[in-house]
Amino acid sequence: MVLLYLLLGTAFGFVLSRSGAADYDYVQGMFLFQKFQLYGIIGTAVAVTAPGLWLLKRWGRTAFGEPLAVKPKPRHPGNVLGGVLFGAGWAITGMCPGPILVNIGEGKLYALGALAGVLCGTTLFGVLYERLQRPLGLPALRLGTGDG
Amino acid sequence: MLILHHLTPLHWALAGALVGVITLLLLWLTNQRLGISTGFENVCSLVVNTPYLRRDEITKSHGFRLPFLGGLVLGGVISALAGGGWAPIWDLGRFDATFNVGHAGKLLWMFAGGVLIGAGTRMAGGCTSGHGIFGLSNLEGASLVSTLSFLGAGIVVANLVYRVVA
Repeated sequence: MVLLYLLLGTAFGFVLSRSGAADYDYVQGMFLFQKFQLYGIIGTAVAVTAPGLWLLKRWGRTAFGEPLAVKPKPRHPGNVLGGVLFGAGWAITGMCPGPILVNIGEGKLYALGALAGVLCGTTLFGVLYERLQRPLGLPALRLGTGDG
Repeated sequence: MLILHHLTPLHWALAGALVGVITLLLLWLTNQRLGISTGFENVCSLVVNTPYLRRDEITKSHGFRLPFLGGLVLGGVISALAGGGWAPIWDLGRFDATFNVGHAGKLLWMFAGGVLIGAGTRMAGGCTSGHGIFGLSNLEGASLVSTLSFLGAGIVVANLVYRVVA
């Protein structure tokens, strides 16, 4: 199983690397409405995944006969505030989480700065969770904000 | 042209279809929903002992998320090697053409953005993959709200950086 995760992650990373999704100029081109590329990729990915997912859920089993488990993410006020913070970071770095790792693999050394920042930001959020939970209206600690 | 060896990128329709196929294979073969940013919680939980980062969902998913994240790095390495050779890169395209800050300045800029990405994705409960691709495909309300929020904020901030400040 570990090998399969590694393999699928590698394939995903290769596609992100070669499509522009892990490229600073393509990301800025998306946000500045100068390049269609990344809108096309996200749109096509959803157009392929949505019907496939619907079929898989109807079928209800994995390739190995396990019952399919698709847990929807909880809706909470953190979706908006967290989304805004993340979007700002995406525009500043030109990378979302996957491409940070892809860029490090490609040899883009400045992406190490982004990774260090992400790990600090994640730790900060984790450590402060119990204090942020009530004021921000976040889900119970054991549920989390959404995994993915 | 990509910053990486000035390669011509894959057509968006092909790249998008491949992303969709990989997402579906991950679910069909391994029963996992695509999502990358939660994996950073797995990484942090290896060294930081705090209840949120040590909740069951994290401690029980190391076997999936850590190799998947490792694969993303490996995919980048293979892409560079196959596309003209691996070499350290400091080029940042449009950023270099607009700002002159040097290596340390770039690392600081990236670090600051990274903190926002780490805290923001975890607060929103997902990123472009978990909300934008999987969640939207599964017609989840939280994912629609999150995706509109991060795309909207990205558009505002990129325009501030390149059309107001620069």
